[in-house]
Amino acid sequence: MDTKMVISNLLHRPARTIISILAVALEVVMVLLVVGICTGMLSETAKRVEGLGADIVVQPPGASFLIGVTNAPMPIKIGDLLEEKVPHLLHVMPVLILMNTSGGVNNVFGINQDQFDEVTGGFVFHSGGWFTGHDDIIVDDLYAKAGHLSLGQRLTLFSHSFRIVGIVEHGKGGRLFIPMQTAEELNGTQDKATIFFIKCTDPGYTDEVISGIRRELPGYPVRSIAEFTSLYTSNNLPQLNKFMSALISVAVAIGFLVTFLSMYTTITERTREIGILKSLGASRTYIMEVILREAGILCVMGIVAGEVGTVVVRRLSETYFPTLYVLLTPQWGLYAALLALAGALLGAAYPALRAASLDPVDALAYE
Amino acid sequence: MEPIIFTSGLRKIYRIGKVEVPALRGVDLVVPEGEFVAIAGPSGCGKSTLLHVLGGLTPPTSGKVLVDGNDFSSMSDGDRTRFRRHKIGFVFQRFNLLPTLTAGNNIAIAQHIQGNGFNPHRFKAIVEMLGIQDKMNHKPYALSGGEQQRVAIARAVICEPKILLADEPTGNLDSENSQIVLNMLRGLNRSFRQTILMITHNPDAAAVADRVLRMRDGRMLLD
Repeated sequence: MDTKMVISNLLHRPARTIISILAVALEVVMVLLVVGICTGMLSETAKRVEGLGADIVVQPPGASFLIGVTNAPMPIKIGDLLEEKVPHLLHVMPVLILMNTSGGVNNVFGINQDQFDEVTGGFVFHSGGWFTGHDDIIVDDLYAKAGHLSLGQRLTLFSHSFRIVGIVEHGKGGRLFIPMQTAEELNGTQDKATIFFIKCTDPGYTDEVISGIRRELPGYPVRSIAEFTSLYTSNNLPQLNKFMSALISVAVAIGFLVTFLSMYTTITERTREIGILKSLGASRTYIMEVILREAGILCVMGIVAGEVGTVVVRRLSETYFPTLYVLLTPQWGLYAALLALAGALLGAAYPALRAASLDPVDALAYE
Repeated sequence: MEPIIFTSGLRKIYRIGKVEVPALRGVDLVVPEGEFVAIAGPSGCGKSTLLHVLGGLTPPTSGKVLVDGNDFSSMSDGDRTRFRRHKIGFVFQRFNLLPTLTAGNNIAIAQHIQGNGFNPHRFKAIVEMLGIQDKMNHKPYALSGGEQQRVAIARAVICEPKILLADEPTGNLDSENSQIVLNMLRGLNRSFRQTILMITHNPDAAAVADRVLRMRDGRMLLD
């Protein structure tokens, strides 16, 4: 009976109902997209690093786990040394990573074809092929789709004009690949690498090889790929966590305020009806339950709309912004729902209390 | 037998800011169970306030108020609400139906609030007695004034209250519908010995009652 009354109340004011639902939906979409984009970018980068097929990563001392942030202080000869001295180490791939900031922030991988093929198994080409010239560039399919790029097109990075010679399947470290020599010239360094990716003769030897490398390179961060990619979480980026928390708080505040306003307007408009219920013997608790139930139903509908809306937005993002990965998880789907519900119930609490406290005589006389 | 309503020296003072407005100035009232009493008087004489106090909607300021043996002057708001839920039925001048519910649900909600569940037999008996069985799926805006008031009466009596308090029940009705409603109230009193306290400023309406009391300036006038 209460639900019947609540639903008939909601249908009585369709515009207000729809706006309240949309506000909660917006809150849910905001939470899921903020978390999804932040964690998605990290997660997707980690997947691409995993996709190289290497077993171990070696970085210079003091380097950030965010590849591309650090400059290139490691001599390439380290690779040769490791191949010679460390048992069960199969191949070493040095990579010189340059961070491009024009037209978006991208890591450009400077690589040598032979070493790249040895460690990763090589690219899967959608079209074109390997570098043949100094100014050649290979891009992944998502980057090409996002920028509407095709073979033979020119691309300017670091004030240098490149020619797209290959479009490859995404997931192999970076999105943009240039010849190592070209990267060295642009970076103003010679025979230096930002990072080494190492393949073992068998993944079972990973720990042994790591120990061997640490003996040869004391003080250098040497990690298995699993350990390295596990660093790609927001917990290792406190500022990112704070950013996410701030935006989530804003989203919850939106839901709280809209629900508060909607319910406050509702009880003002329905003062006489509240008086009628009180004249029938409805207790304060009953009145509060009715208001909170109405807010709860609005919120649930908003949550459903928000969760569906987020999936739709992600689909649209995949089409129009293919390099932007939005990670949606059931866990955060639940968190977003609970946050929205908490915000809505808190927002409805004061109006509910106010409605319950109305003097029945005054309420019945309200015009 | 104890009277179902007993008041002695009942006073009700409303405080509006720093101003005190005495609405009831010492009302003495005795209503035996099963009686149909009309209280007449000019506007502002305190009739509605008396009804609100007897219905537990507002507490008395001072004096004794016993309703079915319960002392309202010592009861909390929660206690009076609980009492009203089970023992009091209200009928208002403006019908006061919930606009978003159908006529049927307007009646059913009284049973729901009482907490004894929906009683389909009583529901059917009441709506048939009041002649509104064909109107159950209509919303209030689709009913005439007389039909709305009959739905309101059904809502008031569905839970078998001890006392039915009617505040100008014919005030918004034409003479034909007024007579129908008054006949309904008379019928409830005669058939079910329903105790009814009706306030009105219409002498014709007051005439259907067993006894007519008059009020003026917050006091009951002596017969």
